[in-house]
Amino acid sequence: MGTLDLTTPQGLLTSILPESILVVLSLVVVLMAAWNHTEPRHSRMAGWASLVSLGITAAVTGWLWSSGAHTEAIGGMIGVDSFRFLAELLILLAAAGTILLSLTYLEREQMTAPEYYPLILFAVIGMLFMVVANDLIVVFLGLETMSVSVYVLAAFDRRSERSAEAGLKYFLVGAFASAFLLYGIALVYGATGVTNLSLIGAQLGGGPLPLLAGAGLGLLLIGFGFKVAAAPFHMWAPDVYDGAPTPVTTFMATAVKAAGFLTLARVLLVAFPDAMPHWKPILGVLGVLTMVIGNLVALVQRSLKRMLAYSSVAHAGYLLLALVPGSILGTAALQLYLLAYTLTTLIAFGTLAFIGRGGEREVTLSDIAGLGRTRPVLALAIAICMLSLLGFPGTLGFIGKWYILLGLISTGHPVLAVIMVLATVVSAGYYLPIIMAMYMREPAAPMVHAEVRVPVPARIVFAVSAVVLLAFGLWPAPILDLAATGAHAVSAVLSGAMAGQ
Amino acid sequence: MTSFLNSIGYNNWILSVLLLFPLVGALLVWRLPPERAKRAALVISLVEFLLSLGLWWAYDRTVPGMQFVLVAPWLPEWGVTFRVGLDGISLFMVLLSTGLLPLSVLGSWDYIHEREAGFYAMLLVLLTGMLGVFLALDLFVFYVFWEAMLIPMYFIIGIWGGSNRLYAAIKFFIYTFFGSLLMLVAILVMVWQVYRVTGTLSFNYDDLLAHAEVVRASAPWLFAAFAIAFAIKVPVFPFHTWLPDAHVEAPTAGSVILAGVLLKMGTYGFLRFAIPFFPGVAFSPFVTNLVLWCAVIGIIYGALVALVQPDIKKLVAYSSVSHLGFVMLGIWSASLQSVQGAVLIMIGHGLSTSALFFLIGMLYERRHTRLLADFGGLARVMPLFGLLFTVSALASIGLPGLSGFVGEFLVLLGSFGRHPWAAGIATTGVIFAAAYLLWAVQRLLYGRLDNPSNQHLTDLTARELWVILPLVAGMIWLGLYPKPILDRTEASARHYLELAKPGLPPITRLPLEEAR
Repeated sequence: MGTLDLTTPQGLLTSILPESILVVLSLVVVLMAAWNHTEPRHSRMAGWASLVSLGITAAVTGWLWSSGAHTEAIGGMIGVDSFRFLAELLILLAAAGTILLSLTYLEREQMTAPEYYPLILFAVIGMLFMVVANDLIVVFLGLETMSVSVYVLAAFDRRSERSAEAGLKYFLVGAFASAFLLYGIALVYGATGVTNLSLIGAQLGGGPLPLLAGAGLGLLLIGFGFKVAAAPFHMWAPDVYDGAPTPVTTFMATAVKAAGFLTLARVLLVAFPDAMPHWKPILGVLGVLTMVIGNLVALVQRSLKRMLAYSSVAHAGYLLLALVPGSILGTAALQLYLLAYTLTTLIAFGTLAFIGRGGEREVTLSDIAGLGRTRPVLALAIAICMLSLLGFPGTLGFIGKWYILLGLISTGHPVLAVIMVLATVVSAGYYLPIIMAMYMREPAAPMVHAEVRVPVPARIVFAVSAVVLLAFGLWPAPILDLAATGAHAVSAVLSGAMAGQ
Repeated sequence: MTSFLNSIGYNNWILSVLLLFPLVGALLVWRLPPERAKRAALVISLVEFLLSLGLWWAYDRTVPGMQFVLVAPWLPEWGVTFRVGLDGISLFMVLLSTGLLPLSVLGSWDYIHEREAGFYAMLLVLLTGMLGVFLALDLFVFYVFWEAMLIPMYFIIGIWGGSNRLYAAIKFFIYTFFGSLLMLVAILVMVWQVYRVTGTLSFNYDDLLAHAEVVRASAPWLFAAFAIAFAIKVPVFPFHTWLPDAHVEAPTAGSVILAGVLLKMGTYGFLRFAIPFFPGVAFSPFVTNLVLWCAVIGIIYGALVALVQPDIKKLVAYSSVSHLGFVMLGIWSASLQSVQGAVLIMIGHGLSTSALFFLIGMLYERRHTRLLADFGGLARVMPLFGLLFTVSALASIGLPGLSGFVGEFLVLLGSFGRHPWAAGIATTGVIFAAAYLLWAVQRLLYGRLDNPSNQHLTDLTARELWVILPLVAGMIWLGLYPKPILDRTEASARHYLELAKPGLPPITRLPLEEAR
C-alpha cells in the first residue's frame, strides 16, 4: 500500500480501516440482537457473530500491516506503525478470549441478554481508537467509548447487588479519571497549542518543560493511573473486579488494561520524550507502590477472585516499571509482558468462572483442593498460568519479567530491578498455595468437582493460552523480534534521544 | 575403555543424551500404570547411570578446563546459547546425581503408595534439572535449570511428604526463589556491564569470566547477590532454617536427593561462579572472615543442635549443616588440599548421608516413628540394619578408612595454613559429630530391646540391601583409595585456584614447611 496521506479522506479512511469495519460489523450485531433477543439461542448467535467480527477485524489489521502502510508526514491524527498493529491484535485477542469465555457462562448465570456482545464490541472499538490515536482528542474519544461500555458491562448482572455496586463504583471513579485526563489535555493544549502527539513532542522538544505542560502531563498520568489501576489510584479495582461478572473481569483485566498501558506508552514516548527525566521517577514510584501494595494485600485475601484482582494490580506495577526505561527495550518488554499477562489472565479468571459453578459464589482455596486429581488437565492449565504469573522460567511470564529487568538494568535502574524481584518473591506466597491446593490437598468431598463443567469454547481458550505460554516461554525468539519491531516504531521520534543513552 | 568410547563418538553426544533422556523418560513414566511406572523409572535411571559412567573414562584428567562442551543456539540475538560442559568438579556431581537416582527409585519401591507414576516422573525431571545446573556453561541456561529443578522438588515434598509437608514445601520454594531472583538481577547487571564495554551481549560463562574485571565497581553487590543465592542452598549458617523442615517432611527419596545433591549445588555455585567471577571480593578480609565465621558457627551449631534432636531424621538433617560448613571452610581456604577435600566431602557426604536417610526411611516404614526414644537394641533383631547403619554413621563421623575422613582431613590440613583459628575450631566439630552420631547409634541399635513393638522387626530385605550396599561400597572405596577421584579433580582444583588467585592475600607462613 505504501505511504498513506492522512490529509485526504481516502488515506484517513484506510488508516482506520480495521476500526471502521468493526463499527459496521458491531452495528450489524446490534441489529441482530435487537430483532432476536428472547431466547438463549439468540444470545449465543450474537456471541458467535461478534467473534466473527473480531476475526474479520483482525484479518483486516493483518492485511493493512502486511501491505506496508505507513505515514510520512507528522501531524496526522492516526498513527500507522507496527506498534499500533501489535496493540490492535493484542486487544482483539483479549476480546475474542473474553467472548469465548462468556458464551456458556452467560447462559449458566441466566444473563442471556444479547446486548452483552455489542457492548464488548463497542468497548473494543474504543480501545482500538485509543491505541491508534496520534492525537489526544482521539485518545479521549476512544477512552470514553471504551469506558462507557465497560461501566455497563460491569453492572451487567442486574440481580446482583455487588455487580451493580461494581458498575456504579467504576462509573464514579472512571468519571473522575476522565476529568483528570481531559483537564490534562486542556493544559497541554494551553501550553503548546496543539493536541497532536507528534506536534506536542516537537513543540516541547529541546527546552525545559513549561510549567503548564508539566501540570498537564501530571494530570494525564493521574488519569491513566486510574484507568490502569496503579496505586494509589487502584482503590476501585478490587471491588469492581470482584463484583463484576467474571468474564467481564477478565475483559477489564486484559483488554482494558492493555489499551491503557499501550496508549500511555505512545503518549509518553511520542508527545513527551524530552520530559523523560520528569516522568521517569514518577512512574518508578508509582510502579513500586503498585507492586508492593498489590502483592502484599493479595497475600491476605481469602476469595480467589479478589486475590487475583490484587494480583492484577501488582502486575500493573510491573508494567509501569516496563515504561520507566523509556527505551526501545522497555517498550518491547511492555508489549511482551502484556501478551503474557493477557494469556495468563484469560486462564486465571476464566477457570475461576467455571469453578464458581453458578450463582457467582465466592471461590476459595478449599474449593480447588484436589483439583489436580479430579480434573488433571484443568489443574495443569491453572498451574502453568500460576507459574507464568510468578515469572517462572519456561513460561512466557518469565521472558516478560526478564525483559523488564533487562530494560531497567540497561538504563541504570538496578534498585528498581531488585525491588521488582523482591515483590515477585512475595507473590510466590499467594500463587503457590493455589498449586498446592490443587495438587497437595485432598478434595473436600469425593465428587466435589464433578459438576465443574468447562465448555468447549473455554477449553480452547485455556488450551491455546497454556500452549502459547509454554511454547514462547521456551522459544521466545519470534515474539521478541515482533515486540522489538513495535517498540522501534513508537520510539522513532526518540531515536535521536536514544542514541545518547 | 577410552578407545571404545571414542569409537562410538561418546564425547559428542553424551551430555545432550544425559540431559534429554530422563526428561523423555519422565513423560513415558507419567503415563504408565503404577507397577510398570516404577519398573520403567528404575530401568531409565539405571541406563542413565551406565551412560554417565562412561564419563569416568572419557574424562581427560590432564585438561583443567571444560570438556565435552556442547553448544546449540537458543536466543542468538540476546547472546544466549545452550552451552554445557563439565570439568573435574562437575564430573563427580554428575556421577553423584545419576548414581543416587536409581537408588532413590529402588528405595521408594514399596513406600510410595499414591500417584506413583507422578512420583517417579518427578524424580526423573529432577535429575534433568540437577544435571543441567552442574553442566550449564551459560548463565541464562544455569538460571533456568536452577529454577526448573525447584518445581519437581516442590511437588515431591508437597505431595508425598510427611504431615507438615505443605509448610515445608513452600518454605523450601520461597527461600530458594528469593535467592535465585537476586542472582538473576546480578546476572543481568553483569551481562549488561560487560556488553557496554565489549559490545557483545553474551551470557556465556567464559566470556563473562574473561571480562569479570569490567564489573569491578559493582562487584561487591553482584557477589552478595550470587552469594546469598548459593548460601541459602548450601545452607550456610543463618540461612539454614528451611533445611530441617524440608529434609524431615520430604519422603525418603526426596531427603536423599536434597542432602545428596541439592545442597551441593550451593557449594558448586561458589566454586564455579561466585568466587571465579569476583575473587577480589570473595577473598577480601571482611568477606573471608564473615564466611569463615558462618562456616565455623555452622559446623558447631549444626552439631550441637543435632545432639539434642529426639527425631533421628532431624538429627541427620542438622548434621548436613555441620558437614557443609567444612566444605565452605575448604573452599575459602583456597589451597589445593582444601579445595580437593571440599569436593571429597561433597561426594562423601552424598554417600553417607544418603545411606543414613535411606536406612531411617526403612526403619520408619516398619515402625512409623523416628523418635530415638522408641528404639533401642535394634541390632539384635536387625543385625544387617545395625551393621550398615553403624558403618554409614562412622563414615559420616569421619572415621579413617571411610569416606568422611579423607575429605575432612584434607580440608583441615589445607585450611591450617591460611586460617589456623578457623581450622582449630572446626576440628572440634569432628568430635561433636562423633558425639551426636555415636550416641544416636547407641540409643538406636544397642542397649536393651525393651519396646515390645520392636521385638519382631524384620531385617533388611534383598531390595533394601541393593539400595544400601552400593553406597557402603562407595564409602569404603572413597575412604581407602580416593586417589582416582583426587586425580580427576586435581587439574580442575588447580584451575579454580588460578581463577581465585587475584583475590588471595599471600600466605605469610606455611606451618608444614616451617616444621620441616
